[in-house]
Amino acid sequence: MNIKHSIPQALQLSHRSILGMIRQPQAWAPTLFFPLLLAAVYAAQFSKAVNLPEFPYSDVTFLDFILPACVIQGVLFGSTNSATDLAADIENSFMDRLLSSPVSRSSILVARLSSAFIYGLVQATILIIIFFAFGAKLTGGASSALALVFLTSFLSMGVGSFLIAIALRTGSQEVVNSLFPIIFVFIFISSAFFPVELMDGWYGQIAEWNPLTWIIDWTRVITIEGFSWNAFLQAAGVILLISLAGIATSTHQLKRRLAVAS
Amino acid sequence: MISASTKQTSQLQVTVAITKRGLMRMRRLPSLMIPSIIMPIFFVVAFSGSFSSVVQLDGYSTDKAVNWMAAWAILQGSAFSGLGGGGLTATDLENGFFDRMRAAPITPSALISGLVGYSVTRAVLPTTAVLIVSFVALDADMPGGLLGFVIAYFTAIGIAAVMSLFVLGIVFTMKTLKSLAVAQVVMFSTMFLSVGQAPLEAIQGWLYHVAKYNPITHVIRMGRQGFLGDVTWAETQPGFISLALLLIGSGLWARSCYQKVDI
Repeated sequence: MNIKHSIPQALQLSHRSILGMIRQPQAWAPTLFFPLLLAAVYAAQFSKAVNLPEFPYSDVTFLDFILPACVIQGVLFGSTNSATDLAADIENSFMDRLLSSPVSRSSILVARLSSAFIYGLVQATILIIIFFAFGAKLTGGASSALALVFLTSFLSMGVGSFLIAIALRTGSQEVVNSLFPIIFVFIFISSAFFPVELMDGWYGQIAEWNPLTWIIDWTRVITIEGFSWNAFLQAAGVILLISLAGIATSTHQLKRRLAVAS
Repeated sequence: MISASTKQTSQLQVTVAITKRGLMRMRRLPSLMIPSIIMPIFFVVAFSGSFSSVVQLDGYSTDKAVNWMAAWAILQGSAFSGLGGGGLTATDLENGFFDRMRAAPITPSALISGLVGYSVTRAVLPTTAVLIVSFVALDADMPGGLLGFVIAYFTAIGIAAVMSLFVLGIVFTMKTLKSLAVAQVVMFSTMFLSVGQAPLEAIQGWLYHVAKYNPITHVIRMGRQGFLGDVTWAETQPGFISLALLLIGSGLWARSCYQKVDI
């Protein structure tokens, strides 16, 4: 199968994957609702926390502080959708029919990864627009907004690739959905909703080691202090490493499934 | 001719049997129970760790975040347990077992009470788990003594009953497992728009007014008081009245929605 055929097939499958998501509002609506609810609640509950002596940023509102974290939270919750749809394809035998057709094997994976990226892109854009409407500020303006959208979409694809690997391994929607709490744990044990400098003991130490903290902190520098290539490249570098590991794992699982199928 | 007391006894037996069935199902399917124990434990660890410094703000009246967050995690676990009866009913509605129960000589009240009984009994497990983790691993305090523990359990059971009735109403209306997602959104939104994570003194803007009049605020204060100081009637009374009103309201809601199962 040459690349001339692979690209149109990947595009077709991506199109199907994205349409499938759009037509299931029960899957994407909560991933928009919960980050907005948490942002609204935390911005009101912890607004005075920015006055604490060790708070790392001055002249910011708590809404500005949690903006990148809420966008990241939303796209991470949404990243499960692509993998859940793939697991559904395996459960209802659509995957078997796909494998018995002369479709390029790599396009199956590319389609799911690209739908995770595009879904993250749309979701991050919507969330940022809503945040703006409620008074959040991005110091760097359009360049910071674009950087945030790109980084979060890229992260959605990276984390999505691990979930896709699990979908390929188990072929179960239930298993993929049950991974949701793990994402929740990673988000909460990070600097997402409160600065690590203000966390005590072992919890603060674990939060400091969490790669999500590094991504959030560098993204926060971009949104609060203005766009900087240094912060952008560092955040993108961590996401790239996560994505490479995830894509390698999902490719391995796809090969394994193909070997079992043949 | 069946006497009124015999009829009452048999309906009570039905309630107990439905509660037992739920608990047996939970024992045989641990995957149902594990998240409802693990998540509240995670909540108390995560909220106490992430927000350890917020107690420096006005209104927290404690120097340890765990004293504030333990009650919040307990009530979240109870609310999650309240989903149990709804989940069981939705499954029964989807596979037709609920119709067979309705065809049997069981009153709707006995059926609903059994489902609530299951959720309430289930709530004891996450409450105990959160209390153990809070005291053993996170060094929580209970200046309210034994009465503080009693009021924490009482509040947890009350919230589980309210949420169970509320979720049953939604499940009776929508008749599908997917309705649990709708129930969760409404349930957790109501919980978050209260003093769960921050005292009224620390809250600003629109949320201050919402939290002030949210009945859940009084219920949380009632359950939390033992972690912060002595248990007093002044703090208990508003919570008790709010809980009673919520129980009446959600009970009427569940009973009226039960009619929709026929439609």
